[in-house]
Amino acid sequence: MRKVTAVPAVLLGLALIAVVVAAATAQARTEKTQATNITLSGWSAGKTEDDLFQQVVDKFNSTHPAINVDYSVINGDYTTAMTARFAAQNPPDVFYVDSARLSTWAKQGVLQPLNSYIKASKYDTSKFYPGLLNAFKVGKNVYGFPKDWSPLAVEINTAMFAKAGIKRAPRTWAELTADAQKLASSNAVPDGKPICLNPDWARMLAFIYQNKGSLAKVQSPAVTQAVNFYVGLIKKGLAATPTQLGVGWPGEALGKEKAAIIFEGNWVMPYMPANFPQVKFGVGPMVKGKVNANLGFTVSYSLAKASKNKQAAWRLLSWLTSKVGMQTWMAYGLALPSRSDVKAKAGRQAFLASGPFSRGWAFPNFDATYTIMNNDLQAVINGTMTTSQMLADVASSLKG
Amino acid sequence: MATTTPTETSGSPKRDSLLGARVREAGWGYAFVLLPMVIFGIFFIYPLGYAIYISFYEWGILGKAPGTGNVGAENYRTLFDDPIFRRAIRNTIEFTVVVVPLEMALGLLIALVINARIRGRLFFRSAFYFPSLVSSAAITAIAIYILNANGLLNAIIGGNQAWFGDPSTALWSIVGLNAWTTAGTVMLFYLAALQSISTDVYEAAAIDGTSTWRTFWRITFPLLKPAHFFVLVVFGIGALKIFDQSFIVSGGTGGPVYSTYTVVLYIYNEAFKSANFGVAASAGVVMFVAILLLTLIQRATVGRTDIG
Amino acid sequence: MLQTSTSAAADPYLPSRARSAIVGKIVLYGLLTAIALLYFTPFIWTLSTSLKTLPDTANFNFIPHPFTTAAWKSVWTDYDFKRYALNSLFLAVVITTLNLFLAALGGYAFARLRFPGREILFLLVLGTLMIPDQLRLIPVFVMLTNWHLIGNFSGYILISLVSAVNLFFMRQYFLTIPKDFEEAAKLDGAGFFKTFWRVMLPLAAPAIAALAILQFQGTWNDFFWPLILFGQGNEDLYTMQLGLVQFTFTYQTLWPQLMAGSIIAILPILVIFLVFQRFFIAGVTAAGIKG
Repeated sequence: MRKVTAVPAVLLGLALIAVVVAAATAQARTEKTQATNITLSGWSAGKTEDDLFQQVVDKFNSTHPAINVDYSVINGDYTTAMTARFAAQNPPDVFYVDSARLSTWAKQGVLQPLNSYIKASKYDTSKFYPGLLNAFKVGKNVYGFPKDWSPLAVEINTAMFAKAGIKRAPRTWAELTADAQKLASSNAVPDGKPICLNPDWARMLAFIYQNKGSLAKVQSPAVTQAVNFYVGLIKKGLAATPTQLGVGWPGEALGKEKAAIIFEGNWVMPYMPANFPQVKFGVGPMVKGKVNANLGFTVSYSLAKASKNKQAAWRLLSWLTSKVGMQTWMAYGLALPSRSDVKAKAGRQAFLASGPFSRGWAFPNFDATYTIMNNDLQAVINGTMTTSQMLADVASSLKG
Repeated sequence: MATTTPTETSGSPKRDSLLGARVREAGWGYAFVLLPMVIFGIFFIYPLGYAIYISFYEWGILGKAPGTGNVGAENYRTLFDDPIFRRAIRNTIEFTVVVVPLEMALGLLIALVINARIRGRLFFRSAFYFPSLVSSAAITAIAIYILNANGLLNAIIGGNQAWFGDPSTALWSIVGLNAWTTAGTVMLFYLAALQSISTDVYEAAAIDGTSTWRTFWRITFPLLKPAHFFVLVVFGIGALKIFDQSFIVSGGTGGPVYSTYTVVLYIYNEAFKSANFGVAASAGVVMFVAILLLTLIQRATVGRTDIG
Repeated sequence: MLQTSTSAAADPYLPSRARSAIVGKIVLYGLLTAIALLYFTPFIWTLSTSLKTLPDTANFNFIPHPFTTAAWKSVWTDYDFKRYALNSLFLAVVITTLNLFLAALGGYAFARLRFPGREILFLLVLGTLMIPDQLRLIPVFVMLTNWHLIGNFSGYILISLVSAVNLFFMRQYFLTIPKDFEEAAKLDGAGFFKTFWRVMLPLAAPAIAALAILQFQGTWNDFFWPLILFGQGNEDLYTMQLGLVQFTFTYQTLWPQLMAGSIIAILPILVIFLVFQRFFIAGVTAAGIKG
């Protein structure tokens, strides 16, 4: 009998030891300095960029000896991981919040309103682009400050444009249509279509705003016109969706030379040379409709309601979005500053020009509405749904 | 070889020893299942109870939404009023009804073939099991590449159908992908089960001159009943819980045009995107009840065993 | 007894030797090989992508152009894949061993031991299969946080100790084993545990082998729970899958590195599969034990 029970007993013993060792080694790591320890978390932008951001954090640590910031990256599904930590009352002290997610998390009570801290430290918020600042306000409460941002711009294939005899990127809706027709007739894009359009309201909404449309009145002629223009480009054969072109997103279409015109943000700038170094492309400011309007995709640094070191966390947050802190990060040339008093990398003027009239990417009942928006838009493009039906669905979803 | 029956001290010896044996057996039975049941209880049954509880409330990340109380069946009503949820149910059922028989047939077929004495058995086993080795995310990325409008598959069979991008083919492409990756796992279970069939049975059939097909259909297939029940239940439930692949393919939108929206994707979006945990829980409860009924039906039909 | 019908006993599914049978065999092998090659195609593409430069991955060619091992170097040096592999190995071995032991024990009890409430408890076990992970994430996470079992391996090991699938399969398998063996053991005076350990467990070798492959692989490929329970912030604890996800971020995937990492991730489980699959050879378990 002893021989028989020995083996399972040994196995179980080993497992227990393993568990204890694992727990102990993890504990040892956390006790380091006497300074206030706070944690900063965000999603990953790739190892190279994350390592550079660590240097920014190191600068804060060295200039603020009383605070020790532990920066760590959350890989994979950021929203789910953060939600779980909110529920367990164990979130990081400072973390990223996408503008689309802000109102949900603010309403759930997991974000710390910053108004009292702003007042107490007399924090100057005048230099932030207003559209971006507003993206992180709910009512009168401020829940974060934008860490960086990007609007949409027009990216073109310069060689194809030269072939079609067009001098520069289109600046208006009329020019857009005209340029696309020229590209089509001169067969400058043999492998695809002149324009690659994302069947996504996160792009189309900029056009809606440019036509003086708004989400407050979705079922209006202004919005209908803009949608019909956007979808019309596809229906006329001047544009195609990424799926139709066999690519994952318009950036890939530009790179594989299946499109000559796309509407994407600052993220396309490092993407093209890394993936398609042989394709020469140019950037122009976003087109203008009846008015200048654009979407600003932005992320904030926010403070957790459950944070146990709010004062120190606020020091970090305000430093990161101050002129000094933001300049440190912008010096690496990887992002665009959300403050007008911070210099950006050269050659980004096309993006920054939209600063004054960019609106944050967010709206009520975001997730449910966005799902309906895009699924319906695909149906409209396929011809299985009318524009007015889609707008009716969107309108009712926005009401929540 | 002969043993002496131990004599109990009190009462009628034979009856007490029988009762004692029963009690001892039950005691050992409970002991053997104790740790698993405790862990199942804490990490599965308790969360289920929790989900049932919060399905009757407006529940947010931090708990009950302030100022609200028991809302009764309102979450369930919201659920069934939502056309997206109804579509999700339809998609999930369609998916399951096609993918499960496909997986079972493929898995059984491959298991039978490589169980027989053919040359290069190791090679074939490894080859057919290979897709199951790779993680779900990696194989879906590869599939997206192959099923691209300008991808490998279209290069072979012609045309430029956007398999994952077309509402009429997206779900079926996921069916194909899923069946392909899961058949290897089903094969493994059937292979193991085939080992337990004594070769005497085949010898007897051979002596009788029974044909191959008859041997399979009249002897092997019925003897695999415990395996069939297992595969049907486990992979049926797995199919109903499909999430990973539809999430990666549609980017979480359940598109194109709601064609890949599944019930678990609905739960995920309601819980982690919209923070409507009450509604998410009610969807989970509905799903649980449906699967439970299904399993009971399967048990009554396929699961009845004569042994044990 | 067996000599006269060797061919039938050895090949229960292949027809007797006639000319049509030989043609049939050629067709069968041809078909199998073609399908097997088809199954290997994704692996070949994975390998070739890992030897490409990032711009080249956009093309649909199988042969890298230019050919480079930069991705492999990057994966091994810039990212701590040695560490990740060790972590994955540790977790897979510990969890597979414990889980299978408990599954076999419990499965045997559900199949062969009689105790009141057995069928209800078994239904409860099946019931746990019907609860999607997404639904139980929050309560489980909150519990483990309160018990300080997150941020290290202990919470993950705890919840992975049992699996309804494994328990279920062991039960089904034990149901198919004739009762003669247990009766013989009982006559020998063996208690319940001894019967289980000495007699039933060896008989269930094919089932254990199948589950060993699947559980090892399941733990190895597991992404969701490791990410949530210990995969945030401490790179030392990363498993292979958590390591791989570092190559995918918002607008960019580092395909060559991802594929190289994926191949490193597959190799160990391929080895496990090759080692354990020999338990499936027909007749190995039958000889000497049954009949």
